[in-house]
Amino acid sequence: MTELDKLLASCLSEIEKCDNLKKMDSIRSVIFGKNGRITQIMDRLRGLDKEGKRKLGAEINVVKNEITRQLDLKHSRLELKELNKKLGSEFVDVSAPARHRSFGRIHPLTKVSEEIANILSSFGFVCADGPDLENEYYNFTALNMPDHHPARTMHDTFYVNVPSSEKGRNLLRTHTSPIQIHAMLANTPPHRFFSIGRVYRSDSDATHTPMFTQVEGLVVEKNVGFAHLKWIITNFLKKFFAVKDLSIRLRPSFFPFTEPSAEVDVSYGIKDGEMVFGCGDKWLEICGCGVVHPNVLRHGNVDADKYQGLAFGFGVERLTSLKYGISDLREYFESDDRWRNTFGFQHVS
Amino acid sequence: MRFSFNWLKRHLSTDLNIRQIADRLTSIGLEVENLLDPGEIFRNFKLVQIEAMEKHPDADRLNICIVMDARGQKMRIVCGAKNAKVGLKTILAMPGAIIPSSREILKKSKIRGIESDGMMCSPAELSISSDKDGIVELKNEIDLETSVGDVLGYGGGIIDLSITPNRGDCLSVKGIARDLAVAGVGDFISSEAKPCKDSFKFPLDIECERSDSCSQYAPIIAFRVIRNLKNGSSPEWIKSFLQSASMNSVSAVVDMANWWMMDSGRPLHIYDLKKIKGRLAIRFAKHRERFTDLKNVEHNLHRDMLVAADAESPLCLLGIMGGAKVACDENTTDILIESAFFDPIFVSRTGTLLNLSSDSRTMFERGIDETSCVSGIEGASKLILDNCGGEASKIFVVGREPMPKQSITLRKEKLLSICGHDVDWESSRTILKKLGLREIESSKTEATYAVPRWRSDISIEEDLIEEILRITGYDNIPEKKMEDVFIEHDKILSEKKCLTEASRLLASCGLSEVISYSFIREDYANAFQENNKLIHLINPISADLNVMRPSLIPNLLLAAKRSLNYGQSGVKIFEIGNVFYNQYVQERHITGLRTGSAHDRSWLQKKRSVDPFDAKADAFALLDYLGIKLKNVVVETVAPSYYHPSRSGTLFLRKKKLGYFGELHPKINKLFGIAENLVCFELLVASLQDCNGEKNYYVSKVFPKIVRDFAFVFGAKVAIGNIMNAIYKLDPLISKVDIFDYFNLSDTQNSIGVSVTLEAVDRTLTEDEAKKVSAKILEYIGTVGGELRAK
Repeated sequence: MTELDKLLASCLSEIEKCDNLKKMDSIRSVIFGKNGRITQIMDRLRGLDKEGKRKLGAEINVVKNEITRQLDLKHSRLELKELNKKLGSEFVDVSAPARHRSFGRIHPLTKVSEEIANILSSFGFVCADGPDLENEYYNFTALNMPDHHPARTMHDTFYVNVPSSEKGRNLLRTHTSPIQIHAMLANTPPHRFFSIGRVYRSDSDATHTPMFTQVEGLVVEKNVGFAHLKWIITNFLKKFFAVKDLSIRLRPSFFPFTEPSAEVDVSYGIKDGEMVFGCGDKWLEICGCGVVHPNVLRHGNVDADKYQGLAFGFGVERLTSLKYGISDLREYFESDDRWRNTFGFQHVS
Repeated sequence: MRFSFNWLKRHLSTDLNIRQIADRLTSIGLEVENLLDPGEIFRNFKLVQIEAMEKHPDADRLNICIVMDARGQKMRIVCGAKNAKVGLKTILAMPGAIIPSSREILKKSKIRGIESDGMMCSPAELSISSDKDGIVELKNEIDLETSVGDVLGYGGGIIDLSITPNRGDCLSVKGIARDLAVAGVGDFISSEAKPCKDSFKFPLDIECERSDSCSQYAPIIAFRVIRNLKNGSSPEWIKSFLQSASMNSVSAVVDMANWWMMDSGRPLHIYDLKKIKGRLAIRFAKHRERFTDLKNVEHNLHRDMLVAADAESPLCLLGIMGGAKVACDENTTDILIESAFFDPIFVSRTGTLLNLSSDSRTMFERGIDETSCVSGIEGASKLILDNCGGEASKIFVVGREPMPKQSITLRKEKLLSICGHDVDWESSRTILKKLGLREIESSKTEATYAVPRWRSDISIEEDLIEEILRITGYDNIPEKKMEDVFIEHDKILSEKKCLTEASRLLASCGLSEVISYSFIREDYANAFQENNKLIHLINPISADLNVMRPSLIPNLLLAAKRSLNYGQSGVKIFEIGNVFYNQYVQERHITGLRTGSAHDRSWLQKKRSVDPFDAKADAFALLDYLGIKLKNVVVETVAPSYYHPSRSGTLFLRKKKLGYFGELHPKINKLFGIAENLVCFELLVASLQDCNGEKNYYVSKVFPKIVRDFAFVFGAKVAIGNIMNAIYKLDPLISKVDIFDYFNLSDTQNSIGVSVTLEAVDRTLTEDEAKKVSAKILEYIGTVGGELRAK
């Protein structure tokens, strides 16, 4: 066994025995340091001739490489060991609850208004808006309900203490229809508008709240008639209730602002105690509609001889209740937490 | 409009049953609200007579009755009624019957060991009166074969219609029968009243005001006197018809006038002639003249109301209701019948002013047959003469019938256009003719019609088209797809899109959406009015909902209070809606409220109450989301008086007010009874709308940033937000200003740690450039009373 072999064997055995990183560092300097064992042997090269230097140099290199390799190997093993030990001491109970992050809920009426707006937009309707505080002219007269028209008494109107003007007494709009007039006046025909908004009637019981939400659509074009109205309503309801087939039934009715007027029933059935649209033989009233009365078009500055209007209106609470199974109308406006958590929608729904 | 099927059958000969009739009514626009089909309601009920009775062996108060029905079938019934006696005819419910009062199905049962085949019912159990002591006692002359429905006045079933305001002609049984006949469900039985024999001259002196407005409001009034009649009780058939219409029987004469009105749609008024003092004047009321109506309610009349008055006082408020003074009673022998046509608007105005409604008012308002004044008197006279005896005078008429209406032309082209599809021209014309419209002339493309006097609602071409569609059936109109068109609108007012997005953003910040009434309690509104004038409802539904809200905060507070009261530790809610003040102002606000603890209790998070920065964070999240550059938003430390004066602020963007945020004033906590901290933000939607302004430019290559931290010392009062805004503006290289530290050094000094990020889009910044910016910052800080803090 040469001296180099011995050196190698003794270094390897020291490396082998080493059990922590600190010792590893001192072993490294004992071997490779200024006066280290390998350094000492390297010193001998100085006294040798070229051939001797080459031979011994090569032998030392082999030993040096082997020791370095083993040192690195051991070093990384020890490092891993120490890391594992440290990580072991860093235990946290991940079964404990996380930081609270809660999201709020969207009111069902907002969600449904959005659904409605999306459907009507896909039919080419544009959203129009108007004030809640109206006057008799826009709420009644312009909609073909002149003074003392019996239909005025059907609307239980809230009046406000704002002095009357030439447009009559001031009131809270009883329907979204005044928006039709504002929108027609602000634009030139043809028109395809819809509007969603709060409306007010002085009526309050289990099936009526003094405030509720209406959505209403208005088409003013040259070649539209009742048949188109049927198409709009059927397809609106199909999309809204997400069903392929759905039948509607129109019954003649009366609204002062449309002539002819109809109320629309939608077909439904009962499956497992729940109302299902698109099947069954029962009927439920869901909407009012009609061909716009020429007087209303005239009040909207539309030439009633050239254009024809179609209008339809739904109660948003009713649509919401039907689609999402909400029974008591009053609860929409009672801001109860538990109700909100049951019927409210996720912020990204 | 409520009437029995049997009543309808006086005017309509039909083979259909009540259900089929009801379906047809609905399909022609006369909506059936309620249908009482006695065949269904009283299935498993029958009339029986008690044959024999004996005591129940095990119960003192019970009897065992043997009853017999019309076919002689005997049944054993256990009964506890005190009025049960042998020979009594009554109504028996058999097993399977649904008891009207309880909606329960009767089952065969044993009572104290004795099996009972059914139950004899009390009036209360049958829902015909509140009388629950004892069983129904029927008159002995009633045949046991009679159906239970007939005995109880159901007259073949009761139809309850909701008549739309345009169909005045269908406020009568005759009118409904006429419409049904057109719809093809049977034949209309026409019954024109023949003139009665008149045996004497009209005896009363009548004086009528001669003025244009009087003849406009009351173009024609007809009178007749009937003498020497006997006003007893009405015949049974009239009573039962009136009962089906939910009308009480008063006396023969009154009942017949009422019946005639409901039957023919012709309102009449009957005066007790002997109670009229002197001559009868048709005149306008005097200012605040007193009038006591039939129901003994007193009214103060107005000058533009018409009355029939004698020398002493008004006797009848024309078109609406008679007076108590001339009401008929059992002693009445001579009557005056009045039959008129009153202008609908005149009647409506009178009724609205006095808040007085009556069947007569409804009929006049909705339009009656103007030509039926005289025929109406004749029909009613005949009925009265036949049933009460007496002799009739000649008819006296004041004024004359209004001019007939103009004719209406129907164009085939318009018909097709409104329908949106092909409709048969010939059959359309046939429908109109069946409805009583007289075709004056016609061609292949046009037809002109005279409208019958009972259809006051038909006045334009569209009305004719509606009639055609109504009778043809809306179901026969096919669906037709709307054409895809792009309509360019000049001006659309809508904030809706932005608002739904705002809802979703706030929900993702943890706030839940509330929608609440636009009207609130006055004292709550007062706390938020800020010297604005509140808008009051003139006719609120309750004192708690009488003022239009000047802020969305009060309703949020009420909702929060409710949640806190049932144990919620923190409440986070918002609403988007309008506020109202100063007569015409209606602004849309987005308002959020946080109260109580900032988050649920957690082992990871320190417990803390909400503070103004929670509200500010919500507001800023929303502004950021809506595309507003936050570094341009300026906070001024003033806010409306319902905010805490030193913990609130107003947000501005280039002088435009965006809204407010902060802690609410303790007076608000007190008013609403909430102990917890309340923090709020309010954003004005209108100002958010027009500032989705500056564009962001994307820069693909990124150069290193330089961050400089400064520790400054200031005299106590500085608004740090203003300093941040000012630093931003010092140099375009400044891309971010953050506050990493902020505390009081002493009563007079604040230490503020400011971190400034410098960045250029096109190069790496040099140390020199950074130094120049730092120098600017230091210089600026010096001008606002700050300096670098000594180490």
